[in-house]
Amino acid sequence: MSTSAQGIVERLRSILGLAPEAPVEQLKGYVEVSVDPASLRDAAAKLKAAGFDHVKSVTAVDYPDKKQIKVIYHASSMLDESLSGYVVGLATSVDRDNPTVPSLSSIWVSAEFQEREMYEFFGVNFEGHPDLRPLLLTPDVAAQRPLRKDFKVVEEDDYLKSTYDEYTSTKRWV
Amino acid sequence: MTEPMQENKKRPMFSKGNMFLADMDEMVKRAREILKKGPLPSMVDWATAFSLWPVHLMTSCCGCEIGAAWGPRFDNERYGSLPWVSPRQTNLIIVEGTVTRKMGCSVRITWEQMPYPKFAIAMGVCALDGGLFYNSYNIIRPWQVIPIDIYIPGCPPRPEAVARSIVELQRKIREEGVASGWLADGERQDLKNIIPKEDLCSWRGEDVDLSTRYS
Repeated sequence: MSTSAQGIVERLRSILGLAPEAPVEQLKGYVEVSVDPASLRDAAAKLKAAGFDHVKSVTAVDYPDKKQIKVIYHASSMLDESLSGYVVGLATSVDRDNPTVPSLSSIWVSAEFQEREMYEFFGVNFEGHPDLRPLLLTPDVAAQRPLRKDFKVVEEDDYLKSTYDEYTSTKRWV
Repeated sequence: MTEPMQENKKRPMFSKGNMFLADMDEMVKRAREILKKGPLPSMVDWATAFSLWPVHLMTSCCGCEIGAAWGPRFDNERYGSLPWVSPRQTNLIIVEGTVTRKMGCSVRITWEQMPYPKFAIAMGVCALDGGLFYNSYNIIRPWQVIPIDIYIPGCPPRPEAVARSIVELQRKIREEGVASGWLADGERQDLKNIIPKEDLCSWRGEDVDLSTRYS
């Protein structure tokens, strides 16, 4: 069992059966593997069998220029000491207009609530998720996909001008 | 037999079997007249001012300062104020910091559950006008949900500021006669125009009647 950084990359290649030219990015303690959405569930099952027993976080990145949304599962190990120093990012890129990703909550149970969060903040649909509802937001706010790049937030100076008029007109203060 | 009949003619309230039901409106009217004059209003205001019990509704991080304010060092309980758990036995909401949309629904429901006369203090700059999260998609201002009596600025306010707000609220109640006026009129006159705009509980799939007056 090799615990060096290069060793973990080679080990991942052998686990996932990746081609030598397959994209594998590597930072300090973090390795990111990009797979297709169709083979995401197989790759997750292989990682789970190899000892990556939990998901630390599920996150998404919005790329409006590429018209893609990249969903990343950060998996790591608690039981295997040679793997627990690393976080493996299992990434997949889907279409931005209709993002649909197979749900991994049947493989990693800790991914269930995180997938609900990505559903409400980015509008990513997870196929096979047992309970796909908004988690933290109200449904009207979740329908606006508030963490996408094209979501407009209120600017500071406009905000101060506009609501002062609203205060004085409605006499809300007591 | 004749004398009681004459008495009943003078006071028709007691002439029929449904005596209390028939004249309940008049009795309430008389009780409110009594509440408006004499020594009772000042007694009601005095009693309310020294029993301001805030409900345990920690919306955000200013709740830590609330813990310090009612703790042994700053000891707000010496003003007759005691944090309590149930909204049914309390008459004060201290909105502690940021209120998210879901929490705004809870604040509103808690306010509706409390018996009147009841009061609200908005604590911290987030409760004033958003503060750090002024342009967030997921917060509301507390004045959109409930009528606020006192605003405390600060991020977070010191426990002394919380104590000052309690004292100021006591002064407001006793000088303006808020509690006795509320009981006498059945509604609070200076808060009549505050009606929240949006239905914050619509995501629950329930109909909450927002047209109910603040009484």
